[in-house]
Amino acid sequence: MLSYSLLQLFNPFICFIINVLIQVVSYRIISRLGLLKSELLGFAAGVLGVLLIEAFYFLDFQISLADSLSILVVNLVIYSSLGYCYYNFINLGVTARRIRILREIYYSKKGLSLEEIIERYNAKDIVEMRINRLVNSGQVVYKEEKYYIGKPIVLIIAKIIVTMKLIVLGKKSEQV
Amino acid sequence: MPKRRVKILLFIFLGVLIIGILVLWRCSEELSGLGLTVPIGYLEYLHVSIFVMSLTIVYLITYSCMEVDSPSLIMTMRIAESGKEGLTKKKFDELLSDDILVKPRVKNLVHDNLVYMEGEKYQITPKGKRMTLIFIFYRWLLNITRKGG
Repeated sequence: MLSYSLLQLFNPFICFIINVLIQVVSYRIISRLGLLKSELLGFAAGVLGVLLIEAFYFLDFQISLADSLSILVVNLVIYSSLGYCYYNFINLGVTARRIRILREIYYSKKGLSLEEIIERYNAKDIVEMRINRLVNSGQVVYKEEKYYIGKPIVLIIAKIIVTMKLIVLGKKSEQV
Repeated sequence: MPKRRVKILLFIFLGVLIIGILVLWRCSEELSGLGLTVPIGYLEYLHVSIFVMSLTIVYLITYSCMEVDSPSLIMTMRIAESGKEGLTKKKFDELLSDDILVKPRVKNLVHDNLVYMEGEKYQITPKGKRMTLIFIFYRWLLNITRKGG
């Protein structure tokens, strides 16, 4: 039987709160810290918290190593899942098209027609924001008025996602 | 394909979890006899449930992301397909129009009951308002001023 306590059970959630606090505070205070780095910093702080709490129980309550490792692995998975959710939540607020459109309609008070939505937020804006990001990070290179692939990281991620779409959804794209 | 796929997936995973917990609880002696470690006590069952639900939520988030084509990934794939020739800005703009990037997202908002049509205008629903306020609050908390999207 595994030795358990409520603190070990809620360990991932406590450390998730630490993750959020560290991420928010670090992003607001350290002006040079980008959003992604603040998320990684918060996540790392939370991982450290999970490890420390489990270490405390292992050393103080003399739980067996096997029990402690089992609970640690499960808690790291739970904590990582929460961290993944948080990363996606922040991402939605910053880059999601639907959220941007929702905000535009929300702020308009009287509602917006499709033409008005496109006037405020359109394909040109979407492409420009993203291509700038891709060029700045070196994933895409702009040379002699043409775009080329630079570092292939985003391309590799794109191919993995297309493969996953084929497996899970049975199609490569929502346009199909 | 059913309309509310994510909701259906959630019910499927929840159903499997509940059935799994019931099987583990009712057949714990038999399973222990086979050499398997079964949860004992409510804390362990709760831990198993939290573990399964956390992975379920990860899957649902990933599934939702996969349903929609990410503009960055489409752009990268199109540039890669052009190979050594490269892709001109004009061709780029032709490939990624409002019909591909904006209009489907507006349709999604209507489908998800976040906005509705009133005459010619899209209005936000109470559900849409609640969701928007969460993101507006968080953007304020992080002091994100750029419009984003």
